[in-house]
Amino acid sequence: MSDGDYDYLIKFLALGDSGVGKTSLLYQYTDGKFNSKFITTVGIDFREKRVVYRANGPDGISGRGQRIHLQLWDTAGQERFRSLTTAFFRDAMGFLLLFDLTNEQSFLNVRNWLSQLQTHAYCENPDIVLCGNKSDLEDQRTVKEEEAKELAEKYGIPYFETSAANGANVSKAVETLLDLIMKRMERNLGKDKYQQNFIRASALH
Amino acid sequence: MGDKPIWEQIGSSFVQHYYQLFDTDRTHLGAIYIDASCLTWEGQQFQGKAAIVEKLSSLPFQKIQHSITAQDHQPTPDSCILSMVVGQLKADDDQVLGFHQTFLLKNFQGAWVCTNEIFRLALHNV
Repeated sequence: MSDGDYDYLIKFLALGDSGVGKTSLLYQYTDGKFNSKFITTVGIDFREKRVVYRANGPDGISGRGQRIHLQLWDTAGQERFRSLTTAFFRDAMGFLLLFDLTNEQSFLNVRNWLSQLQTHAYCENPDIVLCGNKSDLEDQRTVKEEEAKELAEKYGIPYFETSAANGANVSKAVETLLDLIMKRMERNLGKDKYQQNFIRASALH
Repeated sequence: MGDKPIWEQIGSSFVQHYYQLFDTDRTHLGAIYIDASCLTWEGQQFQGKAAIVEKLSSLPFQKIQHSITAQDHQPTPDSCILSMVVGQLKADDDQVLGFHQTFLLKNFQGAWVCTNEIFRLALHNV
């Protein structure tokens, strides 16, 4: 699993209040078929999965697939004992921010998590996907879909109602985040090329 | 038990009592602190019985279980007892995490109280 046979290694972090289902959601995504490592000494749980990403070019034809090695990191509940430090967010390129549709407080805390992300993540506007989890418990729901959508729109992030129990929208949420990351990398690559050309051009003068 | 040094006996009784209270109803931990007691919890400082109990009671989990892996106790020159505990804990349905906890115990008006306490999870991703 950890051989170097991939194009990109991408690290995602699952965040949100304790008990919203971060571990279960990641488990559902990797389906338990893949390596599930629990490193007791570092207090981080991470799972891995290989995916192939195909970007749609401007002509709508997808190019060669990029082999992605996804690492999905979990907080292992340490946020109950202490606030997460900048080091914890280090190297994470994308964030799955979860709340529990049956727990109003976990939804109210989404704003705090977003501001923590702005402080600790590698940049001020990192790529985030918001997940209202436990959509299977419809009869216990306390957060309306419209409320959550409204919040997500305000922050300009995609929103999905997921269920780690039955798998609804789980892959879609992770794939949407991957898509955002890959688009960001393409944009940055483009910028670098532009800068390189600019530097080359100015060197000629 | 009989041939164990007195500080070992007091230290291990305290440790057993502390985690039993912590795991059943941590709001009742007040009895083991005095107003001069200090707690450092993951680098955050608290002083006084009230502040310490407030902090411990407000930790965000419903149930917790501690499992002690090892404990060591020493007498200090001023007749206190220094104790260190290494163990694992499980909060609600989370994964098991390692922790370290240190206590300084003092005989205060005929009873053993905790004057100093330091807690850290055994995490190395900082």
